[in-house]
Amino acid sequence: MNSETGAGAPLVVKDVVCGFCGLGCDDLEVEVAGREVRPRASVCPEAARLLRRLDTGAEAGPASDAVYGRARKLLEAARAPVFAGLGADVDGGRAILDLAARHGGVLDHAVSDGLFANYAAAQRTGWLATTLAEVRNHCDVLLVVGEDPSASFGRFFERALPTDPLFAASRQVIVLGGTLGAAARRQLGAAGVTEIAAEDLTAALSALTQMVAGPAPRGTSFGGAAADALEAAAAALKAAAYAVAVWNAAALEDADLIAERATRLVDALNITTRAGVFPLGGRDNIIGINQLLLWRLGYPLRTAIRGETSEHDSALYATEAALKDADLLVWVSAFRPEPPPAFGGPVIVIGHPDTQFATPPEVFIPVGTPGVDHAGTVFRMDAIVSLPLGALRVATLPSVAEAVRRLEPVR
Amino acid sequence: MRIRLKGGRVLDPAHGENAVARDVEFVDGRIVAATREKADAEHELGGAVVMAGGIDLHSHIAGGKMNLARLLMQEDRRAHPEPALPGFSGAACGCGGGRAVPTAHATGCRYAELGYTTVFEPAMLGSNARSAHLEMADIPNLDTGAYLVLGNDDFILRLIKAGAPQEEINAYVGWMLKATQAFAIKIVNPGGINAFKFNARKLDLDEANPHYEVTPRTVLTTLIRAVTELGVPHPIHLHGCNLGVPGNDETTLATIAAAEGRRLHLTHLQFHSYGTEGDRRFSSSAARIAAMVNANPNISVDVGQVMFGQTVTASADYMSQYRNRGLASPKKSIGMDIELDAGCGVVPFEYRDRNFVNALQWAIGLELFLLVEDPWRIFLTTDHPNGGPFTTYPHLIRLLMDRDFRNAQLATLNKTAQAHTLLAQITREYSLEEIAILTRAAPARILGLKDKGHLAPGAVADIAVHEENADREAMFSRAKLVFKNGRLIVRDGEVIDLAPGTTHVVRTDFDTAIESKLDTWFDRAVGLKAKHFRLSDGELRGGRGPTVLNCVGGAS
Ligand code: SF4
Ligand SMILES: [Zn+2]
Repeated sequence: MNSETGAGAPLVVKDVVCGFCGLGCDDLEVEVAGREVRPRASVCPEAARLLRRLDTGAEAGPASDAVYGRARKLLEAARAPVFAGLGADVDGGRAILDLAARHGGVLDHAVSDGLFANYAAAQRTGWLATTLAEVRNHCDVLLVVGEDPSASFGRFFERALPTDPLFAASRQVIVLGGTLGAAARRQLGAAGVTEIAAEDLTAALSALTQMVAGPAPRGTSFGGAAADALEAAAAALKAAAYAVAVWNAAALEDADLIAERATRLVDALNITTRAGVFPLGGRDNIIGINQLLLWRLGYPLRTAIRGETSEHDSALYATEAALKDADLLVWVSAFRPEPPPAFGGPVIVIGHPDTQFATPPEVFIPVGTPGVDHAGTVFRMDAIVSLPLGALRVATLPSVAEAVRRLEPVR
Repeated sequence: MRIRLKGGRVLDPAHGENAVARDVEFVDGRIVAATREKADAEHELGGAVVMAGGIDLHSHIAGGKMNLARLLMQEDRRAHPEPALPGFSGAACGCGGGRAVPTAHATGCRYAELGYTTVFEPAMLGSNARSAHLEMADIPNLDTGAYLVLGNDDFILRLIKAGAPQEEINAYVGWMLKATQAFAIKIVNPGGINAFKFNARKLDLDEANPHYEVTPRTVLTTLIRAVTELGVPHPIHLHGCNLGVPGNDETTLATIAAAEGRRLHLTHLQFHSYGTEGDRRFSSSAARIAAMVNANPNISVDVGQVMFGQTVTASADYMSQYRNRGLASPKKSIGMDIELDAGCGVVPFEYRDRNFVNALQWAIGLELFLLVEDPWRIFLTTDHPNGGPFTTYPHLIRLLMDRDFRNAQLATLNKTAQAHTLLAQITREYSLEEIAILTRAAPARILGLKDKGHLAPGAVADIAVHEENADREAMFSRAKLVFKNGRLIVRDGEVIDLAPGTTHVVRTDFDTAIESKLDTWFDRAVGLKAKHFRLSDGELRGGRGPTVLNCVGGAS
């Protein structure tokens, strides 16, 4: 970290790595004074909200030994725990996985719906994908399916389509079934933007895919999108040197169908030119935890460890479904104050100190935030790049890994 | 802690010991000269064969593409659940399973059972290095290391196109080795993965990249010079152009010539030894290529033997994998352009013994093994999992050591393929000593690991003991004893303990003036800060850091 200090002035920390949305910005600037953290520059609204820390004196303190003892008792008594949320850095994930291996239980992340919508398509046919640095430099036509990506990934266009690419001769953005907001337009600068309204996004994207793959479907409109607008989009995609399709599965109805169509569209483009899918997602290190499960268990999230074996079922072991048969919920959310879902049984929360509960959990263990209170590793949405988060201030709370390791039986 | 192995027969080709009856003694993880001192433990071996732990110099065990492969191979994973680990005290270890792409834990355990103690991941992408190292940290019982994929990255292609001096290339290579904590440099389809991003579908040795106008030959010779001048012990580890394409034999021969006498390692040579003779326009060029390897002592190779059955192919060579994806079985595949760096392609594949091409691939691999004469320049690999999982090594060893067995297998294969191979006429059988060379002594030597691959005082106490058995497959399937760093981890073919491994890296001198250029490049082009791309030592092996080999450069 680069830092500048003046006499009595707050510490300015540059090149801060952000682990919140999965886009992996690593050039943030914040001001740190004692326990207070104030975002200064290169910060999207979400990061600004989640990084800001004020020293109110009312912050939750570390959990007592008695609290840990209660948590251990609950874990030992549980026959079917669910470990959910899983908003943690990789080390935190490792500790949770060890704990789950010891007690058995289901593992799922808070925002895995989008991930599994994408996998549903991908596991049938596979997919042809790309990563951020390729998009930045090669992409000349970007197809956005659905809402403005900036809504969930504040700096998306600034990061994905900077104005000085190495290779792309021009930049064009086609938005299907959505409109770009002011922030997106500002970040895009001179790039051309075409918005195509649609009522039924799946039908509109199916038609577009069919137009690219051929033969073109007959009709004047598809899913509420005008045929000539779709045809122009198909022509632009086919003429592109490097087209990229993005969508945010978490924000879409029928996300699995959208993912499947987008995958097919990119497959068809690659026969004559180059293209890749770039699925948006990756909040709270879901990708890192998923990667960890893949190399440790051989399965993605939504996997249950029972006895000495594990099994994966993307429907059965989704948090909501798994909770129906569970007798304990262990909820982990270190990146943001996200309360656990409603559950009839006992709940252990290993979470952000500002978490507000509708019903107080049996056990609350406040933990520090990765990238604010302690270092850690998080993965970017493309699952290729991972980043080292640093600490901005002295931690008064344990990390997820430290807290979870204290839940192991005392010897 | 002093441990003594008594009554074994020592096979240590690095010191010319061929089944020498002597004790092997080690203290705290290092082999020492035999003493009469009281040992803390003694193992009576009753004539069993004692070798250094196996070293696999090319096996895909970690990194993003293996996780993509795991995603695609859920059926394989389900079919190979967690094994029970009798003797392993403790609760469920959550260790996973799988055969074609085993989990990190299963990788460490299955390798250990075969007597292997060190394995190198041969295709780590710089952009994925942190992830690969995180994964390697979770592999028990093995020391690891990774080769960094270079030569398709836009930074080096820009340097070459701009006519940058070799010193600047060397500085970049030195910086990258350090930044990604790598052990050697791998080139995959030199410049071809990059060319695919500009829509080229193939790139021959002397064909220019459509954007940079740089040829694979230039990429290759530039990087050969870089590792030579930096003093990296392992030569350039090359996955050549035109993988799997009939007629790539010419490219391979031209590539050997392109090295112009400088050291070069050709990996999974089997996939690069295809001619175009016969009705099927697919033939073995193993004899021609082996003759060229024999005539060029600067060349080393590993085979990438094909073994029949279900597996998955995972490679940085997206250009080739895209071409091959129609052959996927089951019918699904993944491809990815990656980070101005390289790419990856993952294609599930089933090698079938009744299929002409697959049967001939099997025969071509064995022809290479048997026709390359110098066991110090050829290595036993299946390019795990690309030709088959590493767990098939014992079967492969039997094929090499037992001619009757080999010919009996050959007789069951696709008839046309049988007519296209000279395998049946080859009488050579590998000796035990040669197997020990291929699987431990030679890899240690070519990797520059001075304290591995042998059993002289000072060596790391990575030791495998195998009971003699005329059935060589049975003999090598279950090690009698395996010690990792002096610690007993396998007894009678079962893992009984988990030892932490280390990760080998190299460090070279380099001109740090390159750093400001890289800062600008990462900021502007990559969109990630160079300092965040770079891994610190503490990020390896759960904070324990790497085992560093400092290179002495200057040679050219
Ligand atoms: S866009 Fe995402 S990664 Fe970038 S600053 Fe905002 S929350 Fe952080
Ligand atoms: Zn390989």
